[in-house]
Amino acid sequence: MLEIRNLHARIGDKEILKGIDLDIKPGEVHAVMGPNGAGKSTLSAVLTGRPDYEVTEGTILYKGQDLLAMTPEERAWAGLFLSFQYPIEIPGVTITAFMKAAVNAKRKAQGQAEMKAGDFLRLMKEKMALVQMKPEFAKREVNVGFSGGEKKRNEIFQMALLEPDLSILDETDSGLDVDALKIVADGVNTLRSPQKSAIIITHYHKLLEYVQPDVVHVLKAGRIVKTGGRELIEAIESKGFDQF
Amino acid sequence: MGHGHYIAPPAGQYLVKAGEKLELQFVVLPGESRDIELSIDLTGPGAEAHVKALYLCKADEKVNFHVVMHHKAAGCKSTQLINGIAGGQAQVHFDGTIVVAPDAQQTEAYQENHNIVLTPEAKVETKPQLEIYADDVKCSHGATVGQLNPDELFYMRSRGIPEAEARMLQMLSFLSPVIPEGREEEIEQAIKTL
Repeated sequence: MLEIRNLHARIGDKEILKGIDLDIKPGEVHAVMGPNGAGKSTLSAVLTGRPDYEVTEGTILYKGQDLLAMTPEERAWAGLFLSFQYPIEIPGVTITAFMKAAVNAKRKAQGQAEMKAGDFLRLMKEKMALVQMKPEFAKREVNVGFSGGEKKRNEIFQMALLEPDLSILDETDSGLDVDALKIVADGVNTLRSPQKSAIIITHYHKLLEYVQPDVVHVLKAGRIVKTGGRELIEAIESKGFDQF
Repeated sequence: MGHGHYIAPPAGQYLVKAGEKLELQFVVLPGESRDIELSIDLTGPGAEAHVKALYLCKADEKVNFHVVMHHKAAGCKSTQLINGIAGGQAQVHFDGTIVVAPDAQQTEAYQENHNIVLTPEAKVETKPQLEIYADDVKCSHGATVGQLNPDELFYMRSRGIPEAEARMLQMLSFLSPVIPEGREEEIEQAIKTL
Protein backbone atom coordinates (compact mmCIF):
# COMPACT_ATOMS: atom_id res chain seq x y z
CA MET A 1 0.00 0.00 0.00
CA LEU A 2 2.64 2.53 1.11
CA GLU A 3 6.43 2.46 0.90
CA ILE A 4 8.37 5.39 2.28
CA ARG A 5 12.15 5.38 1.75
CA ASN A 6 14.65 7.79 3.30
CA LEU A 7 12.17 10.66 3.34
CA HIS A 8 13.61 14.09 4.11
CA ALA A 9 11.35 17.13 4.15
CA ARG A 10 11.54 20.73 5.22
CA ILE A 11 9.37 23.78 5.63
CA GLY A 12 11.19 26.98 4.79
CA ASP A 13 14.83 26.22 5.53
CA LYS A 14 14.04 24.06 8.54
CA GLU A 15 14.59 20.35 7.98
CA ILE A 16 11.94 18.42 9.90
CA LEU A 17 11.93 14.88 8.51
CA LYS A 18 15.42 13.41 8.48
CA GLY A 19 15.15 10.03 6.82
CA ILE A 20 11.87 8.18 7.37
CA ASP A 21 11.35 4.58 6.26
CA LEU A 22 7.87 3.12 6.58
CA ASP A 23 6.02 0.19 4.99
CA ILE A 24 2.29 -0.29 5.30
CA LYS A 25 0.51 -3.31 3.88
CA PRO A 26 -3.19 -3.55 2.99
CA GLY A 27 -5.37 -4.00 6.07
CA GLU A 28 -2.76 -2.73 8.53
CA VAL A 29 -3.26 0.04 11.03
CA HIS A 30 -0.06 1.80 12.06
CA ALA A 31 0.28 4.19 14.96
CA VAL A 32 2.89 6.93 14.75
CA MET A 33 3.57 8.31 18.20
CA GLY A 34 5.98 10.97 19.28
CA PRO A 35 6.43 14.13 21.29
CA ASN A 36 5.40 17.56 20.02
CA GLY A 37 7.69 18.77 17.26
CA ALA A 38 8.84 15.27 16.26
CA GLY A 39 7.57 15.75 12.68
CA LYS A 40 4.29 13.83 12.92
CA SER A 41 2.18 16.48 11.25
CA THR A 42 4.88 17.15 8.66
CA LEU A 43 4.65 13.49 7.68
CA SER A 44 0.90 13.79 7.12
CA ALA A 45 1.38 17.09 5.25
CA VAL A 46 3.94 15.55 2.90
CA LEU A 47 1.76 12.47 2.30
CA THR A 48 -1.20 14.63 1.28
CA GLY A 49 0.81 17.13 -0.77
CA ARG A 50 0.53 20.30 1.27
CA PRO A 51 2.12 23.09 -0.79
CA ASP A 52 4.43 24.67 1.86
CA TYR A 53 6.39 21.48 2.49
CA GLU A 54 9.35 20.52 0.36
CA VAL A 55 10.65 16.98 0.01
CA THR A 56 14.42 17.21 -0.37
CA GLU A 57 15.26 13.52 -0.53
CA GLY A 58 13.64 10.10 -0.63
CA THR A 59 10.67 8.41 -2.31
CA ILE A 60 7.09 7.49 -1.52
CA LEU A 61 5.31 4.75 -3.44
CA TYR A 62 1.55 4.51 -2.98
CA LYS A 63 -0.05 1.45 -4.61
CA GLY A 64 3.11 1.30 -6.72
CA GLN A 65 2.74 4.90 -7.96
CA ASP A 66 5.08 7.82 -7.28
CA LEU A 67 2.98 9.67 -4.72
CA LEU A 68 5.15 12.79 -4.73
CA ALA A 69 4.42 13.34 -8.44
CA MET A 70 0.66 13.51 -7.78
CA THR A 71 -1.43 16.62 -6.97
CA PRO A 72 -3.42 16.63 -3.71
CA GLU A 73 -6.64 15.94 -5.64
CA GLU A 74 -5.07 13.05 -7.57
CA ARG A 75 -3.98 11.53 -4.26
CA ALA A 76 -7.56 11.79 -3.00
CA TRP A 77 -8.90 10.10 -6.13
CA ALA A 78 -6.39 7.30 -5.59
CA GLY A 79 -7.90 6.69 -2.15
CA LEU A 80 -5.74 8.73 0.22
CA PHE A 81 -7.46 10.67 3.00
CA LEU A 82 -6.27 12.94 5.78
CA SER A 83 -8.35 13.67 8.85
CA PHE A 84 -7.03 17.17 9.65
CA GLN A 85 -5.67 18.03 13.06
CA TYR A 86 -7.27 21.46 12.65
CA PRO A 87 -10.17 21.11 10.21
CA ILE A 88 -10.61 24.19 8.02
CA GLU A 89 -13.71 26.38 8.01
CA ILE A 90 -15.15 27.18 4.60
CA PRO A 91 -17.70 29.99 4.96
CA GLY A 92 -20.42 29.99 2.32
CA VAL A 93 -19.98 26.34 1.30
CA THR A 94 -22.37 23.79 2.80
CA ILE A 95 -21.27 20.30 3.80
CA THR A 96 -23.61 18.93 1.12
CA ALA A 97 -22.10 21.08 -1.65
CA PHE A 98 -18.60 20.32 -0.43
CA MET A 99 -18.98 16.56 -0.30
CA LYS A 100 -21.01 16.39 -3.50
CA ALA A 101 -18.17 18.15 -5.32
CA ALA A 102 -15.67 15.77 -3.72
CA VAL A 103 -17.58 12.56 -4.50
CA ASN A 104 -18.37 13.56 -8.07
CA ALA A 105 -14.82 14.73 -8.80
CA LYS A 106 -13.56 11.29 -7.84
CA ARG A 107 -16.23 9.56 -9.93
CA LYS A 108 -15.38 11.76 -12.89
CA ALA A 109 -11.67 10.97 -12.51
CA GLN A 110 -12.57 7.28 -12.59
CA GLY A 111 -14.78 7.67 -15.65
CA GLN A 112 -18.06 7.21 -13.77
CA ALA A 113 -21.21 9.31 -14.12
CA GLU A 114 -22.16 11.79 -11.39
CA MET A 115 -24.16 10.37 -8.52
CA LYS A 116 -27.91 11.01 -8.62
CA ALA A 117 -28.96 13.68 -6.12
CA GLY A 118 -31.32 11.35 -4.25
CA ASP A 119 -28.73 8.58 -3.97
CA PHE A 120 -26.13 11.05 -2.73
CA LEU A 121 -28.39 12.45 -0.01
CA ARG A 122 -29.27 8.94 1.19
CA LEU A 123 -25.58 8.03 1.33
CA MET A 124 -24.76 11.23 3.24
CA LYS A 125 -27.48 10.55 5.77
CA GLU A 126 -26.22 7.03 6.34
CA LYS A 127 -22.60 8.14 6.87
CA MET A 128 -23.58 11.05 9.12
CA ALA A 129 -25.49 8.63 11.34
CA LEU A 130 -22.29 6.60 11.70
CA VAL A 131 -20.66 9.43 13.69
CA GLN A 132 -23.93 10.66 15.21
CA MET A 133 -24.03 13.91 13.26
CA LYS A 134 -27.50 15.43 13.24
CA PRO A 135 -29.10 15.58 9.76
CA GLU A 136 -29.32 19.40 9.88
CA PHE A 137 -25.52 19.55 9.65
CA ALA A 138 -25.89 18.72 5.95
CA LYS A 139 -26.96 22.32 5.38
CA ARG A 140 -24.36 23.92 7.64
CA GLU A 141 -21.33 25.71 6.24
CA VAL A 142 -18.26 23.47 6.47
CA ASN A 143 -16.92 23.59 10.05
CA VAL A 144 -18.21 27.14 10.60
CA GLY A 145 -19.28 27.48 14.23
CA PHE A 146 -18.59 23.79 14.94
CA SER A 147 -17.26 22.71 18.33
CA GLY A 148 -13.95 20.84 18.44
CA GLY A 149 -15.73 17.51 18.71
CA GLU A 150 -18.13 18.34 15.86
CA LYS A 151 -15.21 19.21 13.60
CA LYS A 152 -13.52 15.88 14.27
CA ARG A 153 -16.74 13.96 13.73
CA ASN A 154 -17.16 15.84 10.46
CA GLU A 155 -13.71 14.60 9.41
CA ILE A 156 -14.63 10.97 10.12
CA PHE A 157 -17.95 11.45 8.33
CA GLN A 158 -16.05 12.64 5.24
CA MET A 159 -13.74 9.68 5.56
CA ALA A 160 -16.70 7.29 5.70
CA LEU A 161 -18.28 8.92 2.65
CA LEU A 162 -15.12 8.91 0.53
CA GLU A 163 -14.16 5.32 1.50
CA PRO A 164 -10.39 5.85 1.29
CA ASP A 165 -7.90 2.96 1.04
CA LEU A 166 -5.32 4.72 3.19
CA SER A 167 -6.55 7.04 5.94
CA ILE A 168 -4.27 9.28 7.96
CA LEU A 169 -5.74 10.41 11.26
CA ASP A 170 -3.68 13.38 12.44
CA GLU A 171 -4.23 13.96 16.16
CA THR A 172 -7.90 13.11 15.69
CA ASP A 173 -8.14 12.46 19.42
CA SER A 174 -6.87 15.87 20.53
CA GLY A 175 -9.51 18.01 22.18
CA LEU A 176 -12.11 15.24 22.31
CA ASP A 177 -13.97 14.26 25.44
CA VAL A 178 -14.48 10.55 26.16
CA ASP A 179 -17.89 10.33 24.51
CA ALA A 180 -16.75 12.05 21.32
CA LEU A 181 -13.60 9.92 21.29
CA LYS A 182 -15.69 6.77 21.43
CA ILE A 183 -17.96 7.94 18.60
CA VAL A 184 -14.94 8.75 16.45
CA ALA A 185 -13.25 5.44 17.31
CA ASP A 186 -16.38 3.44 16.52
CA GLY A 187 -16.57 5.24 13.18
CA VAL A 188 -12.96 4.39 12.38
CA ASN A 189 -13.37 0.75 13.46
CA THR A 190 -16.44 0.33 11.25
CA LEU A 191 -14.30 1.31 8.28
CA ARG A 192 -11.55 -1.22 8.97
CA SER A 193 -11.22 -4.00 6.39
CA PRO A 194 -8.56 -6.38 5.06
CA GLN A 195 -8.03 -4.04 2.09
CA LYS A 196 -7.94 -0.72 3.92
CA SER A 197 -5.04 0.73 5.86
CA ALA A 198 -4.64 3.59 8.27
CA ILE A 199 -1.99 5.69 9.95
CA ILE A 200 -2.96 7.04 13.36
CA ILE A 201 -0.80 9.96 14.41
CA THR A 202 -0.98 10.81 18.08
CA HIS A 203 1.10 11.67 21.11
CA TYR A 204 -1.42 10.07 23.37
CA HIS A 205 -2.53 6.50 23.97
CA LYS A 206 -6.24 7.14 24.42
CA LEU A 207 -7.51 6.65 20.87
CA LEU A 208 -5.30 3.56 20.54
CA GLU A 209 -7.26 1.82 23.31
CA TYR A 210 -10.30 1.92 21.05
CA VAL A 211 -8.66 1.57 17.64
CA GLN A 212 -5.99 -1.06 18.12
CA PRO A 213 -2.99 -0.70 15.81
CA ASP A 214 -1.05 -3.61 14.32
CA VAL A 215 2.26 -1.75 14.36
CA VAL A 216 3.49 1.13 16.53
CA HIS A 217 6.27 3.55 15.53
CA VAL A 218 7.98 6.12 17.68
CA LEU A 219 8.91 9.29 15.79
CA LYS A 220 11.48 11.57 17.37
CA ALA A 221 13.38 14.51 15.91
CA GLY A 222 12.41 13.56 12.37
CA ARG A 223 13.33 9.87 12.52
CA ILE A 224 11.55 6.65 13.43
CA VAL A 225 13.57 5.53 16.42
CA LYS A 226 11.60 2.43 17.40
CA THR A 227 9.06 0.10 15.80
CA GLY A 228 7.13 -2.58 17.58
CA GLY A 229 3.74 -3.90 18.63
CA ARG A 230 1.14 -2.62 21.05
CA GLU A 231 3.48 -3.16 24.00
CA LEU A 232 5.19 0.10 22.93
CA ILE A 233 2.04 2.05 23.79
CA GLU A 234 2.24 0.91 27.40
CA ALA A 235 5.96 1.59 27.57
CA ILE A 236 5.35 5.16 26.35
CA GLU A 237 2.50 5.61 28.79
CA SER A 238 4.59 4.60 31.78
CA LYS A 239 8.01 6.04 30.85
CA GLY A 240 7.37 8.70 28.19
CA PHE A 241 9.37 9.32 25.01
CA ASP A 242 12.72 9.99 26.70
CA GLN A 243 13.55 6.28 26.88
CA PHE A 244 13.98 6.09 23.08
CA MET B 1 -28.40 49.68 -19.27
CA GLY B 2 -28.55 48.05 -22.62
CA HIS B 3 -25.01 46.74 -22.46
CA GLY B 4 -24.48 42.99 -22.43
CA HIS B 5 -22.14 42.96 -19.48
CA TYR B 6 -23.79 45.41 -17.20
CA ILE B 7 -27.06 45.40 -15.40
CA ALA B 8 -28.12 48.29 -13.34
CA PRO B 9 -30.56 51.04 -12.97
CA PRO B 10 -28.96 54.24 -14.20
CA ALA B 11 -26.42 55.66 -11.82
CA GLY B 12 -27.15 59.16 -10.55
CA GLN B 13 -29.23 60.71 -7.86
CA TYR B 14 -32.17 59.08 -6.11
CA LEU B 15 -34.61 60.63 -3.67
CA VAL B 16 -36.45 58.23 -1.41
CA LYS B 17 -39.49 59.73 0.29
CA ALA B 18 -41.30 58.82 3.51
CA GLY B 19 -42.24 55.15 3.62
CA GLU B 20 -40.72 54.37 0.23
CA LYS B 21 -38.24 51.60 -0.42
CA LEU B 22 -35.51 51.67 -3.04
CA GLU B 23 -33.65 48.54 -4.12
CA LEU B 24 -30.74 48.76 -6.53
CA GLN B 25 -28.58 45.99 -7.88
CA PHE B 26 -25.44 46.43 -9.95
CA VAL B 27 -23.53 43.73 -11.77
CA VAL B 28 -20.34 44.54 -13.65
CA LEU B 29 -18.93 41.58 -15.56
CA PRO B 30 -15.51 41.25 -17.19
CA GLY B 31 -15.11 42.94 -20.55
CA GLU B 32 -15.46 46.61 -19.72
CA SER B 33 -14.58 49.43 -17.40
CA ARG B 34 -17.28 51.23 -15.43
CA ASP B 35 -17.75 54.37 -13.38
CA ILE B 36 -20.75 54.19 -11.10
CA GLU B 37 -21.67 57.37 -9.26
CA LEU B 38 -24.56 56.99 -6.90
CA SER B 39 -26.16 59.47 -4.57
CA ILE B 40 -29.14 58.43 -2.50
CA ASP B 41 -31.07 60.81 -0.26
CA LEU B 42 -33.47 59.37 2.29
CA THR B 43 -35.71 62.41 2.67
CA GLY B 44 -38.75 61.23 4.64
CA PRO B 45 -39.29 59.21 7.81
CA GLY B 46 -39.15 55.44 7.35
CA ALA B 47 -37.53 55.55 3.92
CA GLU B 48 -35.32 52.60 3.00
CA ALA B 49 -32.56 52.04 0.46
CA HIS B 50 -30.77 48.77 -0.25
CA VAL B 51 -27.85 48.57 -2.64
CA LYS B 52 -26.17 45.38 -3.79
CA ALA B 53 -23.34 45.28 -6.26
CA LEU B 54 -20.84 42.84 -7.62
CA TYR B 55 -17.96 43.41 -9.98
CA LEU B 56 -15.61 41.02 -11.71
CA CYS B 57 -12.73 42.58 -13.56
CA LYS B 58 -9.64 41.44 -15.40
CA ALA B 59 -6.95 42.66 -17.80
CA ASP B 60 -6.59 46.45 -17.56
CA GLU B 61 -10.22 47.13 -16.69
CA LYS B 62 -11.13 49.82 -14.20
CA VAL B 63 -14.16 49.87 -11.93
CA ASN B 64 -14.93 52.96 -9.89
CA PHE B 65 -17.80 52.75 -7.45
CA HIS B 66 -18.73 55.91 -5.66
CA VAL B 67 -21.74 56.08 -3.37
CA VAL B 68 -23.11 58.65 -0.96
CA MET B 69 -25.95 57.47 1.25
CA HIS B 70 -27.50 60.51 2.89
CA HIS B 71 -29.88 59.97 5.79
CA LYS B 72 -31.82 63.23 6.03
CA ALA B 73 -34.87 62.12 8.03
CA ALA B 74 -35.54 60.06 11.15
CA GLY B 75 -36.14 56.30 11.23
CA CYS B 76 -34.63 55.50 7.85
CA LYS B 77 -32.72 52.37 7.00
CA SER B 78 -30.01 51.68 4.45
CA THR B 79 -27.81 48.72 3.57
CA GLN B 80 -24.98 48.46 1.07
CA LEU B 81 -23.28 45.21 0.18
CA ILE B 82 -20.66 45.49 -2.52
CA ASN B 83 -18.35 42.54 -3.30
CA GLY B 84 -15.92 42.14 -6.13
CA ILE B 85 -13.01 40.16 -7.54
CA ALA B 86 -10.10 41.71 -9.42
CA GLY B 87 -7.71 39.76 -11.63
CA GLY B 88 -5.13 40.70 -14.25
CA GLN B 89 -3.95 44.28 -13.80
CA ALA B 90 -7.46 45.50 -13.04
CA GLN B 91 -7.98 48.52 -10.82
CA VAL B 92 -10.91 48.90 -8.47
CA HIS B 93 -11.71 51.98 -6.51
CA PHE B 94 -14.54 52.03 -4.00
CA ASP B 95 -15.47 55.18 -2.22
CA GLY B 96 -18.54 55.05 0.00
CA THR B 97 -19.90 57.57 2.46
CA ILE B 98 -22.79 57.35 4.85
CA VAL B 99 -23.98 60.74 6.03
CA VAL B 100 -26.43 60.95 8.93
CA ALA B 101 -27.94 64.44 9.31
CA PRO B 102 -28.58 65.94 12.79
CA ASP B 103 -32.34 65.29 12.49
CA ALA B 104 -31.96 61.70 11.32
CA GLN B 105 -32.37 59.98 14.68
CA GLN B 106 -33.05 56.21 14.85
CA THR B 107 -31.07 55.73 11.69
CA GLU B 108 -29.88 52.28 10.73
CA ALA B 109 -27.14 52.31 8.13
CA TYR B 110 -24.78 49.55 7.12
CA GLN B 111 -22.11 49.35 4.46
CA GLU B 112 -19.82 46.47 3.48
CA ASN B 113 -17.26 46.34 0.71
CA HIS B 114 -15.26 43.14 0.31
CA ASN B 115 -12.68 42.38 -2.35
CA ILE B 116 -10.54 39.50 -3.52
CA VAL B 117 -7.46 40.13 -5.62
CA LEU B 118 -6.31 37.21 -7.75
CA THR B 119 -2.96 38.56 -8.94
CA PRO B 120 -0.18 40.70 -7.46
CA GLU B 121 -0.79 43.23 -10.25
CA ALA B 122 -4.49 43.81 -9.54
CA LYS B 123 -5.15 46.81 -7.31
CA VAL B 124 -8.08 47.54 -5.04
CA GLU B 125 -8.56 50.70 -3.06
CA THR B 126 -11.49 50.94 -0.70
CA LYS B 127 -12.49 53.96 1.35
CA PRO B 128 -15.58 53.59 3.49
CA GLN B 129 -16.53 56.69 5.45
CA LEU B 130 -19.07 57.64 8.08
CA GLU B 131 -20.21 61.18 8.82
CA ILE B 132 -22.62 61.06 11.71
CA TYR B 133 -24.28 64.17 13.12
CA ALA B 134 -27.07 62.48 15.11
CA ASP B 135 -26.62 60.55 18.36
CA ASP B 136 -29.27 57.81 18.27
CA VAL B 137 -28.04 55.74 15.34
CA LYS B 138 -26.94 52.22 14.47
CA CYS B 139 -24.22 52.43 11.87
CA SER B 140 -21.43 50.17 10.78
CA HIS B 141 -19.11 49.82 7.86
CA GLY B 142 -16.53 47.29 6.91
CA ALA B 143 -14.08 46.86 4.09
CA THR B 144 -11.65 44.07 3.28
CA VAL B 145 -9.17 43.29 0.53
CA GLY B 146 -7.82 39.75 0.57
CA GLN B 147 -6.82 36.72 -1.40
CA LEU B 148 -8.38 33.31 -1.79
CA ASN B 149 -7.62 31.44 1.41
CA PRO B 150 -4.87 28.86 0.69
CA ASP B 151 -5.88 26.66 3.66
CA GLU B 152 -9.44 26.36 2.33
CA LEU B 153 -8.04 25.57 -1.09
CA PHE B 154 -5.82 22.77 0.20
CA TYR B 155 -8.62 21.35 2.35
CA MET B 156 -10.89 21.08 -0.69
CA ARG B 157 -8.16 19.62 -2.91
CA SER B 158 -7.32 17.04 -0.23
CA ARG B 159 -10.92 15.85 -0.56
CA GLY B 160 -10.52 15.42 -4.32
CA ILE B 161 -11.99 18.70 -5.54
CA PRO B 162 -9.79 19.86 -8.46
CA GLU B 163 -7.98 23.16 -7.92
CA ALA B 164 -9.97 25.10 -10.52
CA GLU B 165 -13.27 23.87 -9.09
CA ALA B 166 -12.15 24.60 -5.53
CA ARG B 167 -11.27 28.18 -6.53
CA MET B 168 -14.65 28.49 -8.22
CA LEU B 169 -16.44 27.30 -5.05
CA GLN B 170 -14.51 29.85 -3.00
CA MET B 171 -15.34 32.70 -5.36
CA LEU B 172 -19.00 31.75 -5.70
CA SER B 173 -19.41 31.56 -1.93
CA PHE B 174 -17.69 34.92 -1.55
CA LEU B 175 -20.05 36.50 -4.08
CA SER B 176 -23.21 34.61 -3.16
CA PRO B 177 -24.75 37.39 -1.02
CA VAL B 178 -24.67 39.76 -4.01
CA ILE B 179 -25.55 37.42 -6.90
CA PRO B 180 -29.00 38.27 -8.28
CA GLU B 181 -31.42 35.38 -8.17
CA GLY B 182 -31.29 33.18 -11.24
CA ARG B 183 -27.98 34.53 -12.49
CA GLU B 184 -25.65 32.07 -10.73
CA GLU B 185 -24.83 30.25 -13.97
CA GLU B 186 -23.90 33.46 -15.77
CA ILE B 187 -21.69 34.63 -12.91
CA GLU B 188 -19.99 31.23 -12.83
CA GLN B 189 -19.19 31.51 -16.54
CA ALA B 190 -17.86 35.03 -16.00
CA ILE B 191 -15.60 33.91 -13.12
CA LYS B 192 -14.07 31.30 -15.44
CA THR B 193 -12.79 34.10 -17.69
CA LEU B 194 -10.89 35.83 -14.88
